[in-house]
Amino acid sequence: MDIDANRSLIAAALARIPGGDRAALQTVYRLTSAKLFGVALRILGERSEAEDVLQEVFVTIWRKAGDFDAGRASPMTWLIAITRNRAIDRLRASKRSRRMDPIDDAVEIADSAPLADDAMEMGEDNARLHGCLDGLAGDERTALRGAFFDGNTYEDLAQRASVPLGTMKSRIRRAMMKLKICLETEPTT
Amino acid sequence: MSDAFDQLPDDEVTAAEFALGVLAGAERSAAQSRVAREPAFAAMVVAWEERLSPWAAEIAEVAPSPAVWDRIASALPASPTQKQGLWQSLAFWRGLTLATGALAAACVGALIYLGNAPQPAPLFAAIDGGGHHHFVATVDTARGSIAVVPAAFAADATRVPELWLIPADGKPRPLGILRADRAVTITIPPALVPHATSNAVLAVSLEPQGGSPTGQPTGPVIATGKLTLL
Repeated sequence: MDIDANRSLIAAALARIPGGDRAALQTVYRLTSAKLFGVALRILGERSEAEDVLQEVFVTIWRKAGDFDAGRASPMTWLIAITRNRAIDRLRASKRSRRMDPIDDAVEIADSAPLADDAMEMGEDNARLHGCLDGLAGDERTALRGAFFDGNTYEDLAQRASVPLGTMKSRIRRAMMKLKICLETEPTT
Repeated sequence: MSDAFDQLPDDEVTAAEFALGVLAGAERSAAQSRVAREPAFAAMVVAWEERLSPWAAEIAEVAPSPAVWDRIASALPASPTQKQGLWQSLAFWRGLTLATGALAAACVGALIYLGNAPQPAPLFAAIDGGGHHHFVATVDTARGSIAVVPAAFAADATRVPELWLIPADGKPRPLGILRADRAVTITIPPALVPHATSNAVLAVSLEPQGGSPTGQPTGPVIATGKLTLL
């Protein structure tokens, strides 16, 4: 899916939902469900749980589409944030320890290059984010990836990296700060 | 870098941690309720989500089972909560359309005359769909009005053409009902005037008599056109 080309379609469909337009919700579903399901599945690891989350996400979109402010966030950012939050809530509630792979394996999987078609779809924002992620130390990047993609908590990340909790908190906070400074100041490469 | 981070307010750190998803238990719950209650904190969280979300391009798309949509459709409450303001009010639009319709011809004449005035430049849009012009619109930015002349638009027995302004944020705002048989001049709501700029899009949808009952397009969008400087 070409996210940029579909951005205005998704935004226009979201804008019709507060009027009770089910076809508009179905349009959003058609355009985004495979991506959002991928996000939930990556965090939860099981299709049935990820499908439950996807259902919750779209009922939430139906109820909350009126809150979406296209001036503040892109539609995909809003949808991905809802999906990640629902998936993380479910992961936390299940109390199961997922993605507790040894850290060396995680690095190998996590730092694999994105697929070519994904790279084309990324656009400028993603190129910038990747440029800035490349500027982080390896252990910082790995910790951020574990949190973003796998829904790891500070405790999970500390355990995976075999470091004290306080060390992991400092690492994440330092990495986020570097990322913010880089995204605000680095020109697009 | 760690020194610089230490200078950030605690709120920003918490917003970043919540957006990334590393918080758990009471800390996560506390952040969630702050998002709901504190707009400034919520804005910081959104800014972090915006920074991180391009990363999701790396996640492969996976088709959910077809049964999921059916489950969603059957779980939906009858209708989402609606926010109705003045600009979404049907009665308001009916009144506005009647009032301005009577003056349409005179205003179009005035617009053409004012076309010779140096500033500000009027905006123009050919509202096209299906390979031909349905309407031609001219925006008088100085007066905050828009004149719409039907071109090849064919009237529909049961539905009326409604005009929408879609600014850069992609959200359609209702402007008013158009006529197939004559020009209509609509006063642009003052809050929308700053959005009536070049590259904003005008769209026409088919709506029930009297216009969309919801404040958003409910029928098919039959034509669109981008505003450009004349």
